[in-house]
Amino acid sequence: MAEKIAIVTGGAGGIGQAVVTRLADAGFRLMVLDKNEKAGHETVELLHKQEHDAEFYLVDLKSKTEVKDAFEMIYAKTKRVDALVNLAGGTLHKWPIHEFSLTDWREVIDVNLKGTFLCCQAVIRAMKERKSGTIINTSSNFGVTGSAERTAYAAAKAAVIAFTKSLALELAPFGVRVNAVAPGLTATARVMTGHTEREWREVTEKIPMGRAAAPNDIAEAVNFLANDESGYITGQLIHINGGMVFS
Amino acid sequence: MKRLEQRIAIVTGAGQGIGRAIARGFAREGAGVVIADVNEESARTVKDEIEAGGGRALAMRTDVSNEISVQTMAKKSVEEFGKIDILVNNAGIFPTSSVEEMSEEDWDRVIGTNLVGAFLCAKAVVPKFLEQGSGRIISLTSGRAFQGAKHGAHYAASKAGIIGFSKSLALELAPHGITVNVICPGITDTAQPRGHQTEEEMYAQGKRIPLGRIGQPEDLVGPAIFLASGAAAFVTGQTILVNGGSIMW
Repeated sequence: MAEKIAIVTGGAGGIGQAVVTRLADAGFRLMVLDKNEKAGHETVELLHKQEHDAEFYLVDLKSKTEVKDAFEMIYAKTKRVDALVNLAGGTLHKWPIHEFSLTDWREVIDVNLKGTFLCCQAVIRAMKERKSGTIINTSSNFGVTGSAERTAYAAAKAAVIAFTKSLALELAPFGVRVNAVAPGLTATARVMTGHTEREWREVTEKIPMGRAAAPNDIAEAVNFLANDESGYITGQLIHINGGMVFS
Repeated sequence: MKRLEQRIAIVTGAGQGIGRAIARGFAREGAGVVIADVNEESARTVKDEIEAGGGRALAMRTDVSNEISVQTMAKKSVEEFGKIDILVNNAGIFPTSSVEEMSEEDWDRVIGTNLVGAFLCAKAVVPKFLEQGSGRIISLTSGRAFQGAKHGAHYAASKAGIIGFSKSLALELAPHGITVNVICPGITDTAQPRGHQTEEEMYAQGKRIPLGRIGQPEDLVGPAIFLASGAAAFVTGQTILVNGGSIMW
């Protein structure tokens, strides 16, 4: 069987590390894209230690040129990309609306939405030509419910859903699938440092299943969508949130 | 690595179509499977198929709309396998009738099988799930739940009911580590669509589906294994649409 290639943006982050590990275990060769150079190298070293094939690319997804260069380098080397996982993103800025600067608002939209658009654009032509490929975008439960002071993030994550459906319709005739995952509260280092122990207990108690998602819970859903077992699923959003929000 | 090793699954309506594919898929992943079907002969055939492939299966004539029949099925399953880990509510019927001409009996039969049947089966296994501190319930709905069905108002109502029921049960059982989810196929190459259209008409519908074809029973197997396995431990109350993009929700 030919080797499968996966690109994971934000692949060095809390959820990202779990996703790249899961996909590597499933037989993918990993291209890890991240804006954090140190974490990126650490992630790839971790994969190498488990005898997985992986490479790190330092990319700021807000830059069209950087995205283009990275994907060109990857294609020159691998000739193909089987799965693109757009994980990079985050709340970044949380402000009441009247204090939310346009610069901050735009940055949130650019990282979460435009970055996804740019990366999709970078793989679409080759996936259409090969008539195969799968794209997994990352929304959030906040993209469905909204979240006070996260107007930009919630807007971007809702937009990712509509973008995913539209791209799914555009690429379905070519056998290319596009889906999204919507993680709920996930126990990554970045998220947990934003809470005191007591706050964390209070928010997780409100989740029907009584805990936050583990990064691996998200990674399993991504792996499901990245493989042929989900071959008839496109344009869909899979929520992984312990029952907080229903599709 | 088999993903459902040591697990026991009940699949209703497993004598044919999607239920049969899921039952066989679960068996391939190492699960012991109870083939529950109102048609005993078809249940036996699927049991034989699974055993021929080296799997474990029990065929049970079950009328999901009848509480005694369902309770007996659950009891016999535990007697045979010692436990139950997974319930797949797949049994369903889809007769057609305009609302104007729909008899109360027609209505009761469809709701009784498709919706009340799912309730009765869940009710029969939940005590065991609670005792074990784990369990998975997966119910099948239909695109009709979202879009309605001309001449199938009872069917559409029953399938939308499945979703509301599953979300509520998910909330009820989440504190116990039991997940409840729904799979929503689009038009699938089984006996059901053949009941009210020709073979040509059925396949022609694939042209209007973004991925360019109607579903095959096998398309539902991967999603069912995902929801039944450890991979979906934190997914509950959700509906996964497996329809080639015909409805996006």
